[in-house]
Formats: sequence, C-alpha cells, structure tokens
Amino acid sequence: MAELARTDEIEMEVKKTDEMAELEVEENQWGEPIEDLEGEEDRNKAVMKLLDSMDGYLTQFNSLSSTLRQGWLDLASARHSMGTSRINYTLLDLKEHPASTSLRVISDDDDDDVDDSTRKQKPRFQLRKWGSLDNQTFSAEKLRSKEEHEESSGSLKQRHRGDSQLPECASKPDDGAQVQIDDKVKNERSKSLAVFGTLVSPKLRASQLSFEKAIEAIVEIANLRSEILAASDQVQRILEGAKKVT
Amino acid sequence: LFSSTDESSCYAFVETTVKQVEDTFKEFTTREDIAIVLISQYVANMIRFLVDSYNNPIPAILEIPSKDHPYDPSQDSVLSRVKYLFSAESVASDRR
Repeated sequence: MAELARTDEIEMEVKKTDEMAELEVEENQWGEPIEDLEGEEDRNKAVMKLLDSMDGYLTQFNSLSSTLRQGWLDLASARHSMGTSRINYTLLDLKEHPASTSLRVISDDDDDDVDDSTRKQKPRFQLRKWGSLDNQTFSAEKLRSKEEHEESSGSLKQRHRGDSQLPECASKPDDGAQVQIDDKVKNERSKSLAVFGTLVSPKLRASQLSFEKAIEAIVEIANLRSEILAASDQVQRILEGAKKVT
Repeated sequence: LFSSTDESSCYAFVETTVKQVEDTFKEFTTREDIAIVLISQYVANMIRFLVDSYNNPIPAILEIPSKDHPYDPSQDSVLSRVKYLFSAESVASDRR
C-alpha cells in the first residue's frame, strides 16, 4: 500500500513537471512571468531613449540660440568699429568656392538596439572642419576636447598679436604636430577673414569663432534629430503592437 | 519691392515670394549633395505644410532662430511630430 501511494506521488510530480515544461513559463520571486518583464524593459528603454534625445535636442537648441546671438552681437560690434563699408555683403564674391568645412554622412552601425530598417533611417552626421589641410580631418569632438584640454592644462599661452582669443595659441614642447595643425587652422581662419581686409577687429574674429561653434551645435542637433525620429518610430511600433494584443 | 538711393549707389530689393521659398525648399531637399538644410523658423512657418510633410532622413531639415525671431520649440516640426505620443488624448484613447 505504501509503495502504491509512493508511486502515485511520483506520478503526480512527473505530471506536474511535464505540465510546467509545456507552458515554459518562468516566474520571478513575485510570481510575475519574466517574459512580460523583458518586453516591459524594452518598452521603457525605447521611451527613455526618446526622452533623452528630446532633452538633448532642446538643450542644444538653447546653446545654438545663445551662440548665434553672441556671434551677431560681435559682428555688429565689429561693423561698428571697422565701418559699414568694410563689413558689407557687397564684399562677398558670389562665385562658387571649394568648401573649407564639409559634412560627412555615416550609417550608425554601432547601435544594436535598432533593426535594419531603423538603421537606414538613422544617419549620423560628422563635421569635417578645415578639410583642405592635407587630408587631415578635424571632427568637432577632437577640437572641442583639445580646447577643453587647453583650458584645463593651465599651461602658458604664447601671445600672438591679434590672436589672443584663439585657444589654439598654446604650444607644448612635446606636441609639435599639434602646434603645426593649430597654426594651419589659424591660417585658414585668417584666410576666411581676408575678404574683410588684412587687419580686422578682434570682435570679428570672436564672431567667427561663435559661428564655428554654432555649426558644431547644428551638426549635433542634426544627429539628435535622427535619434528622435528613430526612437519615436520604435515607440510607435511598440504602441501599435500593444494595441493589436489588446 | 522697394528701393533706396544714396549718393553713390542705388539698391533695389526684391522680396522673396512664398512660391520661391517653396521651389527652393523642394530643390534643396531633392539634391544628393546636401546633408543638412538650415531654414529660419520664421521662413519655415511660411511653408509649414511642406516642412511638416517632409519625412526623409537626409537631408535633415533644421529650423534655426533668426535675429528678429527667436526659436520656438512649439513650432518645431520634429517636436510636433512626437508631441502626440505624450498628449493626454492619445493616452486616454488607448485606455478606453
């Protein structure tokens, strides 16, 4: 009798195990199915990505607005000091010129969270400043990190007449190549301003730097726009999927 | 159309029409050598229906502030496109 009871118990346990295997549902310590939680995590991740992109977009636009405003003020100040005849749109040559700064569009293959269709819709823009310098490319990140490093290094800066506002004036004895690049960048900037004369107001140089910073901000905004559109498509697909289930 | 004259020169300015803005927008958005199109938000409002209906990733259309017209996020086409995802109406309609 005991043996029969024991056999019945074993059969019941085997049956229960088989039923569980059929369902293939795992539960966490709160008794919630883990599969649903993973889907919930993906949904939250997509929404967070969208919100982060929107926050970055608005922040960059605020930065762009203040940078442009500063550039316009400096330009107006330069026009006031140099005279309206020296800073005038009539001085600009309306012929086509090779661009000193260009933009490269690259596909974002590093993001594993997006599928192939989204990847095609999510281009990334890369700024190539002063691209005419012997195939040396400058990204906005490289120059920004260089400028931040210069500010934090506390090293002595060589003073060049008329270039006191340029952060690339700093020279390091062990960084000859970087100094050479900085000099070339300085030359390119001076060449751009040559249309306004040989001696220009420091305010005009300051406005040039402001507008350069504005271009970098614009490229960042373009990248964030791509992220927003890709993330919103993802969230939209999740919402549509949830509607079909319900 | 207005003109101003001084002793040395005469300038004549022709105001850009909405049609010209539309045509230029369509031209720039179909060229393959353009990655980003910058348009003043004030001008974008003149052709709002065209800007909002533009869906391609490249070239990217960015509405930037101008000297006289600061940036208004409520008019930005990208933010308007995703605004409905956070509106109370869309959430309420899903819950019904």
